[in-house]
Amino acid sequence: MCRLKFDLSILAKHIPFLLEGAWLTLQACTLAVIGSLVLGLAVGAMRTSASPLLNRLAAVYVDIFRNIPFIVQLFFFYFGLPEIGIYIDAFTTGVVALSVAGGAFTSDVIRSGILAIDPGIIEAAQVSGLRKSTIFRKIILPIALRASVRPLGSVFINLILTSSILSTITLNELTGSAKIVASNTFRPFEVYFVLLVAYAALTYAVSIIIGMLHRYLNRNQSEGAV
Amino acid sequence: MISVSGVRKSFGAATVLNGVDLEIRQGEVVSVLGSSGSGKSTLIRCINGLEKIDAGKITVDGFDVSKPRELSEARKRSGTVFQLFNLYPHMTAVQNIALAPVEVLKVPRRQAEDEARELLRSVGLSERAEAYPSQLSGGQRQRVGICRALAMKPSYLLLDEVTSALDPEMTSEVLSILAALAKTGTTMVFVTHEIEFARSISTRIAFLDKGQLIADLPTAEFFSDKGMALPRVAQFLSKMRKD
Ligand SMILES: Nc1ncnc2c1ncn2[C@@H]1O[C@H](COP(=O)(O)OP(=O)(O)OP(=O)(O)O)[C@@H](O)[C@H]1O
Ligand SMILES: [Mg+2]
Repeated sequence: MCRLKFDLSILAKHIPFLLEGAWLTLQACTLAVIGSLVLGLAVGAMRTSASPLLNRLAAVYVDIFRNIPFIVQLFFFYFGLPEIGIYIDAFTTGVVALSVAGGAFTSDVIRSGILAIDPGIIEAAQVSGLRKSTIFRKIILPIALRASVRPLGSVFINLILTSSILSTITLNELTGSAKIVASNTFRPFEVYFVLLVAYAALTYAVSIIIGMLHRYLNRNQSEGAV
Repeated sequence: MISVSGVRKSFGAATVLNGVDLEIRQGEVVSVLGSSGSGKSTLIRCINGLEKIDAGKITVDGFDVSKPRELSEARKRSGTVFQLFNLYPHMTAVQNIALAPVEVLKVPRRQAEDEARELLRSVGLSERAEAYPSQLSGGQRQRVGICRALAMKPSYLLLDEVTSALDPEMTSEVLSILAALAKTGTTMVFVTHEIEFARSISTRIAFLDKGQLIADLPTAEFFSDKGMALPRVAQFLSKMRKD
């Protein structure tokens, strides 16, 4: 068998194509992070609410989406829903699926952030006459989010990694375009090496941003270690 | 007037308040004394609506705290200061104090913050207005806690062992502020273990024993033979003075 030399230069002309894929990944992930956060906040709030119905509903959602492989959820949305007349394009499906799955994990983080708040702080807000919604917006959410930055970071990094699965529904994001380049050039080693570095760089960048955000938001919160 | 009548409160099988009657009128400083577990904190928490009562009635200026609609009115009229301060950790001293006036009383933010600074100045904390709770000492935190309650211009101040988490030096800085408030006629319900201080600022002493108010006397009478005639009171006072 003929071992080719490791040579990245042959990928040069495919770089624009790969960058397009990377751009798609970035768009999908950004939207999905926003979607997960919105969903996670709503569901996290439901899970800590006094209403048993909302509580139950939220718990069912989290249980379902945390306990099913992402690829199965994705196939259900993309290949299953058209069977009952719901057609969504690949990109939207990908973003929705990532948001829904990410939302389940996000809501768990938000929920523990909320539960970790000293009840005395909330009581102080209650007796001062603040409305429930104000207490949630001005006290509970800011405190819970500050405590949740790091665990949310892990959820979002996972989401970026999971986004590579979107290539299975014809979406040529980073992994999808890498597959195409690999099969066109017969250079899987170089191509997937680049892919590996690209994902590592992306998630590393995110973890650095998360660390900075954490330090910034918690700069006044504790006397010693943050 | 705060009116507590026939109030009962149980946690599971344990009856914590067993038919309590108490009235606090404008201008009074009522200290609530009693040994640990006698129900003092529970009484305060029933008055500000943090606990639901099982029987009886509590009104603040006529507003029934068991009715959600009226509770918010009742809460506008009373301010609570907590043992463990319970400041909002993500807000500066000024923001802690100005939040409720802005959100509940709809005071313009500028004005609320100016008033907050003025309150901080009155407790000797003008320099720490922009500090976060974690950057303040315990005594400073409690002074902010008092300002936060006062910012709502409450008719009544409820204080539950507000110095028991503080060392003696910080305790005296907080007590001197409370003494000044008492002098200016602020109505207070003051749960404390600081017997001598209670004696010096109170107009009346209410004594709780196993969920019952077994004494409700003007301060001088409470600390006279009349109070001492009650065995539980005599026992409590002699024990407290020994410690
Ligand atoms: N949320 C609760 N659940 C169950 N029991 C409670 C609860 N809150 C208070 N209790 C019980 O009620 C009794 C009275 O408590 P409370 O805190 O009112 O006493 P206290 O007079 O304030 O005591 P201390 O001087 O120690 O603060 C205690 O036996 C306590 O264990
Ligand atoms: Mg107590």
